Amino acid sequence: MSQPSLTLPTPGQQAGRRRRLLELLGAAAITATFVFLVLTQPADIAGGLGSVSALVALGGFLLGAVLLIVAVLPTLPTSTVVLMPVALVLNIVLGQLMGTSGLPFYFDAIGTVLIAVLAGPAAGAATGALSSIVWSFINPTVLPFAAGAALIGFLAGTAARYGLFRRFYLAPVAGFVTGIVAGVVSAPIAAFVFGGTSGAGTGAIVSAFRAMGDTLLAAITKQALISDPMDKAIVFAIAAMLVYALPRRTTFQFPFVRRFNVLAGKAPAQRGA
Amino acid sequence: MTPRFHPLTLLAAAAAVLAITTAASSWPVSLMVAAGAVALAAATGSARRVLLAGGAILAPFWLSLLVIHGLFYPEGRTVLLGFGPARVTAEGIGFALDMGLRTSAFVLVTMLFSFSVRVPELVAALNSRRLPPQFGYVLASTLMLAPIIAARLQKVRQAQESRGLVVEKGLRSRLNAIRLQMVPLVLGLVHDAGTRAQALDARGFRRPGPRSSYREVSDSMGQRGFRFCALLLAAAAVVLRIMASYPGGQS
Repeated sequence: MSQPSLTLPTPGQQAGRRRRLLELLGAAAITATFVFLVLTQPADIAGGLGSVSALVALGGFLLGAVLLIVAVLPTLPTSTVVLMPVALVLNIVLGQLMGTSGLPFYFDAIGTVLIAVLAGPAAGAATGALSSIVWSFINPTVLPFAAGAALIGFLAGTAARYGLFRRFYLAPVAGFVTGIVAGVVSAPIAAFVFGGTSGAGTGAIVSAFRAMGDTLLAAITKQALISDPMDKAIVFAIAAMLVYALPRRTTFQFPFVRRFNVLAGKAPAQRGA
Repeated sequence: MTPRFHPLTLLAAAAAVLAITTAASSWPVSLMVAAGAVALAAATGSARRVLLAGGAILAPFWLSLLVIHGLFYPEGRTVLLGFGPARVTAEGIGFALDMGLRTSAFVLVTMLFSFSVRVPELVAALNSRRLPPQFGYVLASTLMLAPIIAARLQKVRQAQESRGLVVEKGLRSRLNAIRLQMVPLVLGLVHDAGTRAQALDARGFRRPGPRSSYREVSDSMGQRGFRFCALLLAAAAVVLRIMASYPGGQS
């Protein structure tokens, strides 16, 4: 789609290196935050330590998400950037719909996965993080989950890169694995920042585990391990269905799809037009 | 309209209030902040919208919190009511109130921010702060696209209905109806995006370097000072909380 300009000089190597550094810093911030939260898991959540965990979770994950966005966005081709708002609206509309239904699912990542399959892991991660930030204008409680959403996009893109979207039955498997990782990463946010989950369906599952005597983090992690893998398996299957329905002419506009043969199949016949 | 503030001033104020509320983590502070947000919303005339939107988010959240901690709180000692495996403890109710009020403050302050900030101004302010211009594009374009996409979905539904789509009760029929609407919707949107990308590329969307803007956002020394102080206060609150939680390095 977007050809390099013929008249103006292309940006130098230095800018590229700085972006790479920002990307690594963002990933490091997210990892460090998660490790800190799990290691210093406060025994008494109601005490003062719960507040430090909330601050660290909010600050670390948001910083990581913003760094990733700043690093990745300028490198994306225009065709991808333009698709992002569409993906974000899909995420938000479906997520709001599901959030009010009372089922223990979220369905708030279809757009993110769609972009990740078409444009790669970096674009997927940026879309996930942006989705949380933009959605927080309508529903602020999703803002702290930006890092988890970025991870989903990254993993979906990686799955596409290694050919898991070439067969329809492999996509839900990739979604299932993604859901496990995403659930484990998002659970500390729900536990430390909100002290619970925001949906009625997920809340019921958490209370069941609490009734068995689990700590809050353990209960929410287990709830996430029940909800997330199923949810992401369905989301990946829907995204795969949508991508298969797109005409080849459209999907092959994306360099990522062409380069890694994401969707199994030959490029459309090269004709004059 | 009341005096207009620079969007970054609003953002800094909201972020500082949230950081201080989280650091304080005590229900009187949270309650005060939540009440303050509502009062401020009333003063600017957006109380109804803030309360409606905030309530829609907070009602299920409170319900879920009360079910989780009100009925099952294994750490609780003071049992108020007990029936079977569920027991209502004072600690559980206290924790639910603590968390619920903190989240209420969080949601109401953020809602107040998003209802009082003007997105085009925020985008212009962010662009002049070395953030990639694509960020502003995605933010503004998403918030503007939502109604367009809703209208488009309506059109797709009408078209499919005129071709004989009837949604019946069964799950199968419902899923099929969703598929018949989703696929054309997404296809159309992706195709549109391709056209838009060409138009943007032709206008140098991807070029690095400074952008000029039609919109001048007024800023003042006072607001700059306020932003600096707000962020300093927030940082101080966070540092104080961390120092208070780790006395002498032992946790």
